[in-house]
Amino acid sequence: MTAANSLSGTVWSTLVRGVRAADARPRPRESLLLGLVAITLVVGSASLAATRTVRSLAPGNGSGAVGEGSAGTPALDLRLADPQGLVAFLAVVLAAHLLLILAGRRTDQVLLPTVALLGGISLLLMERLPAGLAGGSAGLAGTQLLWLTLSISAIAMIGTIVRGDAWLRLYKYSWAAGGIALLALTFVFGDDVNGQRLSLSVGPFSGQPSELLKVILVVFLAGYLAENRPLLEQESTRLGPIRLPPLPYLAPMAAMWAIALLVVVIQRDLGAALLFYAVFLFLLYVATARSSFVIAGSVLFVAGAGLMARLFGHVQTRIDIWLDPFADPSGAGYQVVQALEAFARGGLLGTGLGAGLPTVGGRLPIPAVHTDFPFAALGEELGLIGILAILGLYLVVIERGLRIAAAARDDFQALLATGLSLVVGVQAFIIAAGNLKLIPLTGITLPFISYGGSSLLANGVVIGLLLALSDREVRAPARPRAGGSRRRAPAASSARSG
Amino acid sequence: MDALVVSIWIVRIAFLVLLYVFLATVARVLLRDLRAAASERAVELGRLVTIDSPGSEPKTGSVFALDTVTTLGRDVNNTIVVDDSYASGEHAALTWRGRAWFLEDLGSTNGTFVNGGTIDGVQPLGFGDEIQVGRVRFRLERSSR
Repeated sequence: MTAANSLSGTVWSTLVRGVRAADARPRPRESLLLGLVAITLVVGSASLAATRTVRSLAPGNGSGAVGEGSAGTPALDLRLADPQGLVAFLAVVLAAHLLLILAGRRTDQVLLPTVALLGGISLLLMERLPAGLAGGSAGLAGTQLLWLTLSISAIAMIGTIVRGDAWLRLYKYSWAAGGIALLALTFVFGDDVNGQRLSLSVGPFSGQPSELLKVILVVFLAGYLAENRPLLEQESTRLGPIRLPPLPYLAPMAAMWAIALLVVVIQRDLGAALLFYAVFLFLLYVATARSSFVIAGSVLFVAGAGLMARLFGHVQTRIDIWLDPFADPSGAGYQVVQALEAFARGGLLGTGLGAGLPTVGGRLPIPAVHTDFPFAALGEELGLIGILAILGLYLVVIERGLRIAAAARDDFQALLATGLSLVVGVQAFIIAAGNLKLIPLTGITLPFISYGGSSLLANGVVIGLLLALSDREVRAPARPRAGGSRRRAPAASSARSG
Repeated sequence: MDALVVSIWIVRIAFLVLLYVFLATVARVLLRDLRAAASERAVELGRLVTIDSPGSEPKTGSVFALDTVTTLGRDVNNTIVVDDSYASGEHAALTWRGRAWFLEDLGSTNGTFVNGGTIDGVQPLGFGDEIQVGRVRFRLERSSR
């Protein structure tokens, strides 16, 4: 307890030092965009409430009997669904905005509104899902609101406090070791859910370490690649027609590949493995600009995936479902088929918020709709137009990340920003494509929309770091110098040239 | 009932439209940002920041935009004149070769240092590396694009 108190004290004092009223700098674009976000969410909430009114009116009593609490005239009834929740969320976002204004840094002004809109859509979705799904007494929306609050706070705090990157850059191996330890802990002490060992419980809290692991992975890869980039560009080893960089420098890369495979084998976490590996290949390409790495990596991936499918039943099952979900529509392919039907019901404009997902025999057609299939639910209720807009929001996150990377002052910060934005973008792509049966479905969360604390928090950290990096004043640590070299040059004073 | 259905339909579509209004506003902000970046400066391959200089030429903190070939040394014909008694006339050359920076020592008396170690021959550099010519230390940085 005391440790936690002193830690929060340290964070608080840093925060206070980081925020001085004199430094306040207006963020007009962020204010404008956040205003739009607020209007959009209020309209969305009104749409949800109106649909509920109709639903309570519709069955049987069409003779003007008014649904519970409705204002009598069923005309334009603009009440909101769960106004307290929405107001609380908007207040949190506003507080984050004010904190960033007071911090007075020239950080990105688009990321926070984009994330706020995604989080708000998530809140609307969780409000309309039946409360019994998860979340305990607070219900889905209540719990989600709590985690969204923590996530937005993480963004604002990291965006305010972090003014140097030494703690990431200099300790990359420590971070990597911590990540591997986390993975091992999950394997040994993790809780089994559906035959997968993905979550770790500490006291009352349980979380999915793989969400945290993805951040650590990006930090390590960025640090390692930035340090060894010139060496990786050399072509000293030749393997027939393939030219490879010096072999010792490939070892950590091979280790990375092995870890991704291990995650699949031991944890059965296909989604995380795919995400790790894809981000690894992207970063390798960004660092070296050599397409041969990507080709070799993809070949290795296909070979690994083929081998996995042969050796492990759960991989093969996923691929079979992907190839033909209708082979067993009420068993193995059930969720995928239901998701496809949801997209079909949604059509172009969708059924409207709150009007989708008819319950079949008292339960939802898609059991994991809040974690793995929010994209299908949104596809049904907002239609093609709506999910294209949501994909557009993820594209905005990626664009900002790549812009921050292009403006970064050195390789580490550039690679870190690239990796952080891609980790969000690739994750969104993997699960959205899985929902749409474009690629085999893997259980992974849709960033900022899926229900789940660790995912929201980890993605909050990612966006917070991106905000911090977007400030060009972020300090790089001084280069460590080899012993005595500073003296060596001036010491050669007898050998002056001229 | 009909009025209610119509109003529901209106809020539904309004929500979708507002999503796109948000995206369009973001797109405008991003475009303005990209245009500003594009007009800022012609393509610059990198910059050299003087982080420590005992003398007056170059001054500590001064920034040099780099050309594909940049020479450093005490002679006035160099791209960057390093007026330091420990620097040679033609001390070192920075060259941009396709996708990376390389540093070459031009036979200086006191050597050229990268991150504290002497270099022999041509050495590839990464952004963020520290170069020392004489007693003057520079850092290679990416330009702000």
